[in-house]
Amino acid sequence: MNLVAIKSAIDALSAPTISFTILTVIFPFIFPPSDWFEKIHRKTGLWRMWTKPGGVIGMILITAFFVIGYFDPYFNKTLTKADNFPIVLMIYSMWFYIWLGMFKAYRNDIRIEQGLKPEEYNDPDDKVLVWPDLVYIEFICLILFQVFLIVWSILVAAPIEEPANPAATPNPSKAPWYFLGLQEMLVYYDPWIAGVLLPTFIIVGLMAIPYMDINKKGDGYYSFKERRVGMFIFMYGWVVLWLFLIIIGTFFRGPNWNFFGPFEYWDTHKVEALTNVNLSEILWVKWLNQGLPSNILIREGLGFVITGLYLFVLPVILAKTYLKDMYAAYGPTRFVSLMTFGLVMLALPIKMYLRWIFNLQYIIAIPEWFFNI
Amino acid sequence: MSDQKEIVAPRAAVGSVSKSRKTSMERRSFFSWLALGWLGFAAATGGFFTVIIRYLFPNVLFEPPQSFKIGFPEDFAPNSVDIRYKKEFNAWIVRDDESIFALSTVCTHLGCTPNWLATDNKFKCPCHGSGFRMTGIHFEGPAPRPLERFKIGLANDGQVLVDKTKSYKWEKGEWENKDSFLKV
Amino acid sequence: MSEKNNKSILEKMGESQVWKSIIRSGVPRTRRQRMHAILGSVFLHLHPARLPKHAVKVGYTWCMGGLSFFLFVNLTITGILLMFYYRPTVEYAFTDIIDLSEQVPLGIMRELHRWAAHSMVLIVWLHMVRVFMTGSYKPPREFNWGIGVILMTLTMLLSFTGYLLPWDQLAIWAVTVGSNMARATPFLGNEGPGASLLAIGDINLVHVGSDVRFALLGGRFVGEATLLRFYVLHCIAIPFVAMIFMAVHFWRIRKDGGISGPL
Repeated sequence: MNLVAIKSAIDALSAPTISFTILTVIFPFIFPPSDWFEKIHRKTGLWRMWTKPGGVIGMILITAFFVIGYFDPYFNKTLTKADNFPIVLMIYSMWFYIWLGMFKAYRNDIRIEQGLKPEEYNDPDDKVLVWPDLVYIEFICLILFQVFLIVWSILVAAPIEEPANPAATPNPSKAPWYFLGLQEMLVYYDPWIAGVLLPTFIIVGLMAIPYMDINKKGDGYYSFKERRVGMFIFMYGWVVLWLFLIIIGTFFRGPNWNFFGPFEYWDTHKVEALTNVNLSEILWVKWLNQGLPSNILIREGLGFVITGLYLFVLPVILAKTYLKDMYAAYGPTRFVSLMTFGLVMLALPIKMYLRWIFNLQYIIAIPEWFFNI
Repeated sequence: MSDQKEIVAPRAAVGSVSKSRKTSMERRSFFSWLALGWLGFAAATGGFFTVIIRYLFPNVLFEPPQSFKIGFPEDFAPNSVDIRYKKEFNAWIVRDDESIFALSTVCTHLGCTPNWLATDNKFKCPCHGSGFRMTGIHFEGPAPRPLERFKIGLANDGQVLVDKTKSYKWEKGEWENKDSFLKV
Repeated sequence: MSEKNNKSILEKMGESQVWKSIIRSGVPRTRRQRMHAILGSVFLHLHPARLPKHAVKVGYTWCMGGLSFFLFVNLTITGILLMFYYRPTVEYAFTDIIDLSEQVPLGIMRELHRWAAHSMVLIVWLHMVRVFMTGSYKPPREFNWGIGVILMTLTMLLSFTGYLLPWDQLAIWAVTVGSNMARATPFLGNEGPGASLLAIGDINLVHVGSDVRFALLGGRFVGEATLLRFYVLHCIAIPFVAMIFMAVHFWRIRKDGGISGPL
């Protein structure tokens, strides 16, 4: 096959609209949250991802991508930036450790199906001494890591750019890599949501996980099947809505924060049609053919109704119908908090698609009060 | 505590009434002193933290001057954007057909500095791709509102004077304000 | 070595008064002595004396928690060394950073610090993934998971505040973008929803000079005062808070029944 064709295929596939959609669609088949998904997961052979050959193939694919990228004149520039090396490490280590966890989980799942205890189980009376068994392992880990750090520090100089100049914004300006997920969210949401509300929800939501997950199983050993819904939600949030957005922000965002495929030239003058409209404009100007009403609340009425339906009415309907059993098991407080965090998390992909499909800027747009959703 | 009280009260009633009253009074007054003490403690702590928050805001700021002269109105060509004052004063001087105004160089999205792309006739922010027309009106990207305009007027010597302490926001209808532009 | 004296040097050392006064149990050879080696040391008794077998396997813990702590210590040491040469002022900051690699012996100190910092963010994330995948946040460890989330946030804030200190283009613009989010904090930021409600008549209480962003930056934009504030936050304030939470985190691991494992 022709390398140029592969590169342009990767460029086309990595557009956020396409890659994000592929990931979102394929994700429930990789971490199947229900029997139906599980069946397809088995049939299509996706489960082989979590076997030893699967792990090796994953590693090879990642390496192939970076090797091709290294020899590509454009991707080389992004890839070899000193501050981007942690992201290369992140991609490798996240793949390896999530693979390792799932590999162990699948082995344990089989054992549990057979009525055996998980692999981690040992006779409680059969303990080992911390000195020397643990302290030496820790000591070795620590030395190996320090050696790795020293080698890294000798080989790669820490980045330093020109002295700070408040008048010249570099193009593109990027936050530190671990905040690039947030910076990517800023494209779709107003700063008060992407910069304040969502981070708060992420932190509080993570802290609330143990109180919302009432599944007693899978405590203290790797397992998947016993807690597949929880695993699916966490992995989707973690891998797609956090790590993947970081990768997009690092590798696929160029000048003017435009999207560029990894093997594409960063053209400063690339023009993208980004003319966005607010929901109120669509409603009043496009559908009702009149000017925007001067009363803010009437103008944004539809937005308020939609947001209210989504955040407050939808959980009630779900509790009465589709998630009836869950509501009974969880009780009102747990159910409400789970719904709040879940719906806010889901609001991110929803807003992304609204932007991509309808060029929708804000559902509620009240710049007068700095209140845009 | 309350159990004890009930037991004590009848026993004391046999003896001297005044004595029992006295002890309960003492206890009551002790609790009110305690409440007062805690209230005082809470007030002092609250006051202390208020002072600490105030401590974060210094009385004097050593920042560059907020108003500056930029030359005579004739110096600015019609339908052009002057980027000379961007670096020092964070302002663009724009002259359109009928007026001169000073635009803030702070992107209304997240405060990066957009660049003036003369060929595309727009301000484009490098951080998240917000685009603004020459007038400062936003038309693409995530910026929620137009760029802000600074107060502009003529000084006594006929030079144009820009005052950054006062800014005018379009969405509040403030661009109608006479100080937000200079008729030419 | 003579025939009658077939004890090793280590064993002889272990019998000396100095050794016994420091490591009270002598050279840890017997089971009892080995347990004492852990229990008698203020540092090692972070650990219990004995552990279930799965807990010492790298395959289970990935060693990520231990490495996170190691990196914190590592960063503290390299950070202290960097402070000898770095002055947090607009005038000197950038040149001091350049000097660190040009004029100071062992010119990789900044690299060690920076790459360790990036690694720490990554390793703390991996630690969280491991704890989630083994379900180790489940009762009775709910609270400690919460402490862990706070520590992860503090790690990222530490890294973020440190990002400004080289005072180059990368630094100030990353921090400008980051800190401008604070401007949009509801009620507390001058461009946050609700801020315009906090006004007496025509006078806004929350404006550019009085909002939460100003408190963070010490000015209306990223400048001299910001550099100093971030320096203090980076070197003293956040590590101080992190150490308190770390103490709770470690203590709670033991109190919640040690490392998680199947029953």
